[in-house]
Amino acid sequence: MEELKKQTTPKPGVCFPWEEKLRELSETKGDKELVKKVWEDIDTLGYIYIWHCLLSF
Amino acid sequence: MENKSGDMEKLYAQRLKRYVTAMRNGKPDKIPIRPFVAEFTAKYAGFTCQEVTHDYEKAFLAARRCAADFDWDAVVGNMVYVWTGLTEAIGLKYYAVPGIEISEQTGFQYREPPEEQAFMKPDEYDELIRDPTAFLFNVWLPRVSKYVTAKGEPVSYHNNLSFLKGGMAMLSYFNSFGRQNELLRKESGTVSAISGIFKAPLDIIADKLRGYLGLLTDLHERPRKVMSACEALMPHLEFIALSGADSAKNIPIGYWMHRGCVPFITMEHFNNFYWPTVKPIIEQIWSKGHQVLFYAEGSWDAHLKSFAQLPDASIVYHVDHGDIFRVKKEIGHKFCISGGIPNYLLSYGTADEIRQCCKKIIDGVARDGGYIMDASAIIQNDASIENIKVMTDYTREYGVY
Repeated sequence: MEELKKQTTPKPGVCFPWEEKLRELSETKGDKELVKKVWEDIDTLGYIYIWHCLLSF
Repeated sequence: MENKSGDMEKLYAQRLKRYVTAMRNGKPDKIPIRPFVAEFTAKYAGFTCQEVTHDYEKAFLAARRCAADFDWDAVVGNMVYVWTGLTEAIGLKYYAVPGIEISEQTGFQYREPPEEQAFMKPDEYDELIRDPTAFLFNVWLPRVSKYVTAKGEPVSYHNNLSFLKGGMAMLSYFNSFGRQNELLRKESGTVSAISGIFKAPLDIIADKLRGYLGLLTDLHERPRKVMSACEALMPHLEFIALSGADSAKNIPIGYWMHRGCVPFITMEHFNNFYWPTVKPIIEQIWSKGHQVLFYAEGSWDAHLKSFAQLPDASIVYHVDHGDIFRVKKEIGHKFCISGGIPNYLLSYGTADEIRQCCKKIIDGVARDGGYIMDASAIIQNDASIENIKVMTDYTREYGVY
């Protein structure tokens, strides 16, 4: 998959911004907000992983 | 059964009130006792350092055994914080692990690489500044892990497992603290001492990225890059601190202070780099209702005037090698103070020496409240069980308001 160019630095809590993910999705037939929320919640887990590798371990 | 759980809940409530009152710089019923016991718990519970470092369930059990037997108000759920089972799964290279690289009876060691092998190169500041999270994943993690492959290299089985195992193990570990805190409460009425973690941007650059010597060079040769890097790290460090904070806003966030003080850096560097990239975060955290425990390792006495700029009661200030009486004089009217009992005394001192030290500190620092009894530094397996008991029992006897 072609890597998308990041326009801005992701804010804290974010690795792979929803806006980039949205560009991957050709369309969403159902609840887009639900997809966004879950994407962001799990993305934050990835964020927490690397920052705790740095801070805690 | 019902009576016991009711008694424990009552004891927990008393201890929580005592601990929180002191932390808000008030005068509770007694001086709270909150020893940061790490490998000491292994010694007490009959485990090796290897056991508590590599198997966190044993570390949890050891902490609970101590909490049940000593009349302490608060403990850290696991002060042997680096779970080396996890670090081995990720493949982190910078730890000497008890039972692997070092004796099973020695606490884990952080090994800073030589200057020329620093995990971040001097010409990589821009990449860090542009996107710190991406930098950590793409550049830093492949350098610190023997399993994670660098960007552009072929992905390996070990790489994939490092992420999968590391992620699942970390989640499992962090989630276990909730159960540990509940067990401490139910089994012994003990409060969990801290919640959440913070470190200063400049300390992160020294500890984990450029190394201490690399940072010192950078402060002279590329100061603007260092400052920009600190500023880029700030929002992330604040986010992580708040993400682990106590939702009830009783328990402080732990702030581990390393080499950001004089003489490790100059006063000018502290005033122009370290403090301006820490103070706003502490103030922001306080604005959300959370205190921060300044665990001031070594001596930060040269910077007390800076800390005094913070809002009243926004921090709890822990004393290691600093002059606790000077600390009391300069900032004791604003903040609760903890610590000050030298660790060497708890290892090699006599019972009388310990009682005298506790008395001197209680008389000099704790008369108006706002003091928590603890050793100067993390208590490891060189501390004498009998001496810890003396410190505890004497404080209970003499530290009553």
